[in-house]
Amino acid sequence: MKELLRDLGLNVRIFFQGAYLSYLALFAWIRPPHYIATKVVGPVFYMIFFVLMGAYVAGRNDPSFYVIGNAMQTAALSGVFGVSMSIDGDRWGGTLIYLFGSPANRLALFLGRAFMHILDGVFGVIIALGWGLLIFGLDLSQTHLPALALTILITVFSTAGMGLMLGCLGLITRNVMLVNNTIFFLLFVFSGANVEIGSLPGWAQAVSSIIPLTRGIAAARLLIGGESLAAVGPLLWGEFLVGAAYAAIGFLMFRQFEIIAIRRGTLEAF
Amino acid sequence: MGAEAIPDVHGHAGRPPSSCRPIVHCPFVAFYEVCFNFRMNTIEVQDLRRVYNASIGAIRRSRKEIVAVDGISFHIEQGELFGLLGPNGVGKTTTVKMLTTMLIPTSGRIRILGLDVVKDAKKLRPRIGFIFGGERGLYWRLSGVDNLRYFGSLYHLDPDATRKRIPKLLEMVGLSDRGEEKVEGYSRGMKQRLHIARALLHDPEVLFLDEPTLGLDPVGARDLRVIIRNLQAENKTILLTTHYMFEADALCQRIAVINKGKIVAEGSPAQLKSIVSDLSVIEVEIFGGVDDRLPALRALPAVDALSIENREQKQVLLIQSPAGAEAVSTILKLLDGVRVGKVAVREPTLEDAYIRLVEGEA
Ligand SMILES: Nc1ncnc2c1ncn2[C@@H]1O[C@H](COP(=O)(O)OP(=O)(O)OP(=O)(O)O)[C@@H](O)[C@H]1O
Ligand SMILES: [Mg+2]
Repeated sequence: MKELLRDLGLNVRIFFQGAYLSYLALFAWIRPPHYIATKVVGPVFYMIFFVLMGAYVAGRNDPSFYVIGNAMQTAALSGVFGVSMSIDGDRWGGTLIYLFGSPANRLALFLGRAFMHILDGVFGVIIALGWGLLIFGLDLSQTHLPALALTILITVFSTAGMGLMLGCLGLITRNVMLVNNTIFFLLFVFSGANVEIGSLPGWAQAVSSIIPLTRGIAAARLLIGGESLAAVGPLLWGEFLVGAAYAAIGFLMFRQFEIIAIRRGTLEAF
Repeated sequence: MGAEAIPDVHGHAGRPPSSCRPIVHCPFVAFYEVCFNFRMNTIEVQDLRRVYNASIGAIRRSRKEIVAVDGISFHIEQGELFGLLGPNGVGKTTTVKMLTTMLIPTSGRIRILGLDVVKDAKKLRPRIGFIFGGERGLYWRLSGVDNLRYFGSLYHLDPDATRKRIPKLLEMVGLSDRGEEKVEGYSRGMKQRLHIARALLHDPEVLFLDEPTLGLDPVGARDLRVIIRNLQAENKTILLTTHYMFEADALCQRIAVINKGKIVAEGSPAQLKSIVSDLSVIEVEIFGGVDDRLPALRALPAVDALSIENREQKQVLLIQSPAGAEAVSTILKLLDGVRVGKVAVREPTLEDAYIRLVEGEA
């Protein structure tokens, strides 16, 4: 028993070390100016743009709809871009052969790539909500904050699930950025960040229901509007399961990629 | 450097407990080794073949089979430094990839440390280390130390033990004072030395070095060779590929010369040299093109193998000939009209043996 615990402790430390270092190693925006521009300043402009747009086009004078939507959408910056680049990045560095040549536990390796981006993404959403408080007077007085924190975490997790899958798609197709940009805007349009899902046509609503973010954004709006955690429970479970499903598909692709690359000798093609 | 024992990943000096290598440490085998001067083969390769399916053409795609490795067999003994030598594109890297579990053979069998590389890949990976030449394959945004820590986590090494081991490894490869710097600022040679440290991190029993001196200047390449030689003193079994004969000569106990996917000769440097011992090498300096004369020269009975070396403004024809000095006049006659410089006849070197082996096939 004692040994088991010690082994577990060791494995956890190894996991964190790997997760942390791979984040530093593979994250393209790690340089401070770049990071701040993308994650801290960028979201403000989105928010301002959509609040103004919303006021003119949709005649909506309550900015909180857009503030919450765009703040939650920043989750995808880390979840989709950050994570997929971390998975795909090894191809560019020529490190795949050393990665797969190691006895590393593939699941831990795979999930480790997402770990820091999830923390980072949570941080990003909080900053964006902070802007909302500061600039648009977002009202959190009715909000159960721990529930909101959980919602943010789950939402970032689910975008990261998507990112894991997209990263593997990048490994296979060798063109991660094209896929990423497409998906990012897909999320933008269909997640309900800036439009009411109810106002979308039926097929679009179907898309909304199978992508990350949709339920997380809805839950965040409800919580900030004063609802309880129990009320958003089903939404959160749904968001979590969507993310887990993408992550699972991603992991299967990751394993398959390794097996096929070793069979065909394409581990180093790029 | 190198001679002192590096503490292993378990924190103590020297080899891991013998339980890791039951066969070699079995008393009967040790007895056998002593009495009959017989050693277990660490690596056994049998009729290894690999065919790639390359697609050619961007629009009308068609498939083409490339036979990269064409039925090679060899074995490497425990503690041996074995060289796989051959010109570009003859299948060295392909062979090393198969040996390191990173490519499935089309047919044939490889056993390393008693394990099958395909079936037992998982068990084998922690016990081997490898590098594929060049600067890629490191995380350039991380420092040298962090690269090693990361690879340590991939090998499930205890972070504390790795932290203690890293300075020793860096010292061994001469990077002690640069370990904290980001790899993107490293020179080519530094990156390649860091690769060696990476490959040694988990204290593997077998090492595969695919062109470790690729692209290094003569001094850098020499430093790296010193490091490799020191590794052997650590009782590692090493397979090295190179296309430099002198490198194989300087380092390896045994060499297999590979050409077009096949092993064309195998033996100690001295044995390989004896292939050409009955020949002389005629060196003819020439200025200007001679391509039109080459077929006629090659056709001469007195010419066994011919190669051309470029040296500054001139070229040197290297002709291996059983006739020695007597062939010179015939050769010069064929070179009539070409500006010829110095002509010399000398004893063959290992380099000449290599040229003969890979030219002879052409
Ligand atoms: N993934 C691949 N797909 C198709 N053909 C390949 C692949 N990898 C290697 N080849 C071909 O197989 C042959 C052997 O290549 P290999 O890289 O093993 O040679 P090498 O001896 O290592 O050469 P070098 O000295 O240039 O490194 C070459 O003809 C090469 O073009
Ligand atoms: Mg090669």
